[in-house]
Amino acid sequence: MPGGGRCPDCGSAELVEDSHYSQSQLVCSDCGCVVTEGVLTTTYSDEGNLREVTYSRSTGENEQVSRSQQRGLRRVRDLCRVLQLPPTFEDTAVAYYQQAYRHSGIRAARLQKKEVLVGCCVLITCRQHNWPLTMGTICTLLYADLDAFSGTYMQIVKLLGLDVPSLCLADLVKTYCSSFKLFQASPSVPAKYVEDKEKMLSRTLQLVELADETWLVTGRHPLPVITAATFLAWQSLRPSDRLTCSLARFCKLANVDLPYPASSRLQELLAVLLRMAEQLAWLQVLKLNKRSVVKHISDLLQHRRTLVRKAFRDGTAEMEAQEEERQGQGQGQGRGKEEGGSSSLDLSEEKRGASPALLLPPCMLKPPKRIRPTPSVSTVTGDENISDSEIEQYLRTPQEVRDFLKAQAARQAAVSVPNPP
Amino acid sequence: MDQNNSLPPYAQGLASPQGAMTPGIPIFSPMMPYGTGLTPQPIQNTSSLSILEEQQRQQQQQQQQQQQQQQQQQQQQQQAVAAVQQSTSQQATQGPSGQTPQLFHSQTLTTAPLPGTTPLYPSPMTPMTPITPATPASESSGIVPQLQNIVSTVNLGCKLDLKTIALRARNAEYNPKRFAAVIMRIREPRTTALIFSSGKMVCTGAKSEEQSRLAARKYARVVQKLGFPAKFLDFKIQNMVGSCDVKFPIRLEGLVLTHQQFSSYEPELFPGLIYRMIKPRIVLLIFVSGKVVLTGAKVRAEIYEAFENIYPILKGFRKTT
Repeated sequence: MPGGGRCPDCGSAELVEDSHYSQSQLVCSDCGCVVTEGVLTTTYSDEGNLREVTYSRSTGENEQVSRSQQRGLRRVRDLCRVLQLPPTFEDTAVAYYQQAYRHSGIRAARLQKKEVLVGCCVLITCRQHNWPLTMGTICTLLYADLDAFSGTYMQIVKLLGLDVPSLCLADLVKTYCSSFKLFQASPSVPAKYVEDKEKMLSRTLQLVELADETWLVTGRHPLPVITAATFLAWQSLRPSDRLTCSLARFCKLANVDLPYPASSRLQELLAVLLRMAEQLAWLQVLKLNKRSVVKHISDLLQHRRTLVRKAFRDGTAEMEAQEEERQGQGQGQGRGKEEGGSSSLDLSEEKRGASPALLLPPCMLKPPKRIRPTPSVSTVTGDENISDSEIEQYLRTPQEVRDFLKAQAARQAAVSVPNPP
Repeated sequence: MDQNNSLPPYAQGLASPQGAMTPGIPIFSPMMPYGTGLTPQPIQNTSSLSILEEQQRQQQQQQQQQQQQQQQQQQQQQQAVAAVQQSTSQQATQGPSGQTPQLFHSQTLTTAPLPGTTPLYPSPMTPMTPITPATPASESSGIVPQLQNIVSTVNLGCKLDLKTIALRARNAEYNPKRFAAVIMRIREPRTTALIFSSGKMVCTGAKSEEQSRLAARKYARVVQKLGFPAKFLDFKIQNMVGSCDVKFPIRLEGLVLTHQQFSSYEPELFPGLIYRMIKPRIVLLIFVSGKVVLTGAKVRAEIYEAFENIYPILKGFRKTT
């Protein structure tokens, strides 16, 4: 009750502040007489005192799902349907998207990032269920750049603290190989190129396993290796008719895009097979090359475990042995004891004269591109005296400054007159 | 609809995989032999404690050749550290014991402080040459990471006119539309500096802490000679990058399986494995060729310590056939 006011009609002191709709009024509670009325409209100065609260600072954001989040969730569901994923995947992906949206960094991100986030959530879901989906596929479907995708993907995995398993290679081989259009004759695929799916799948799997064992898969994009393995498997199943077909033509026939590194993976795989062939008695006499070895791939794959063991020295044990020799006997014997057995075996192999290749990743077998300069030991303290002459060399002389200013002015003049007469 | 028609490279594999609803293929099919010494576990198994216990046991067996003392010390420290780690566990998804105590199998904890840790403002008496950390010869890797880059900042303590600096210095470039700082370079030590109008400066490219400090002082002297009252306040090393080579190939797929809380390996994106070590807080890039890049350190000792921590882990992935 406001102090000091009295109703002019009945004289009571019971005045109440009440509002009639949006108009504040001072009303006598005894007789109902309106003592004063508030102003319906606000003046300019009044409005200046009003405070606006931005949407992001109000609680409205937390109470309802924003339009862009709704759009994002719809896109997640659409993407899951396009990829024909099982229904449980959809719910998981939607949950991840909602979880990500709770972080302010994601809420305030650009629309492009939110679109890429849709793909990230779907990819994480697929990975966790061992569904082989490559990032390239997602990027194509989203019309997104792989760089943008990778940045958002790494960020979201870290932000949500998720454990994302690696791409399952065996599953990827099966899905990828099934997408090759070589299992039925068609106008573009002659009969001699048609192949049985199961045979091709099993042989491709064996070739990819071989590539994995011989360090051709670690650190590289998996798809080009699988393409090369599929090509070799297909060729080896009917070499007489298919040796003339090149990798590029094969991919065109099969209606599959040829990834750029696939040809170098193919060469690496053929080199491995050649080395293995050297260990088979009945192939040694044939003097195989990269084309003719394809005919014997079935034999090589049959005995691949023994052949790899015989054809390649353990590159790691070899390097250990070299290290031991270099460091001499001064070092502790503790470490040497473990490798003593294997290194002596290597040395005896070398003495025999056979020189099997080292089983190492190709990057370690190539000669270094440039000689590493040995780091020189510098005796810099950080507190030395800095001579004036050394600093002077970095400063322009006054004449140079004048020349530079003149040149700048001339350039400005030239720019401001675009079409000199 | 033939989806494969319109899909560019790598956009394959849209058909549903066979047996899609069955549980995932155990990762240690004969396809991926990861050698002896590591207990294979499928990815979905969340009781990662069993792998770590197994590995602990195996590593301890290996080290039984060495002195008993060190083993006991290790165990005590592991317990202490495991207890500490449990209380500061960052991963909510895994149990606290998911933090691998394996990091502390290295021997550096039992050794004296590394003499390689040079203080930032050394007295003229201390030797400046990089010294090999004094770990016992039989346990140390014998490899010292080389520093490749040092990033430091210093405050010149006065507002600068970048246009004047760019005009009167020979080694400066300034393009305000591209970047709001002057880029200045000196030849000795070979470094680059970004000088901002607020007076703050970033110095990059030096190969040691002392070189970084000397280079920053030279830049400050250049700015002084250009007529600004430049001082040399709050010199601080912000980041150090080192690299080294363990000289054997590493099975990155195996490493990411056993240390999944710390590792991130996406061959589709980057050929190396990104290992985020918790103590010390260093990020390591590990490549299949055995080359390791260590970054994120504020002092040299962190790089050495991180490498000594990772070396036994990497050695565990060496024998693969």
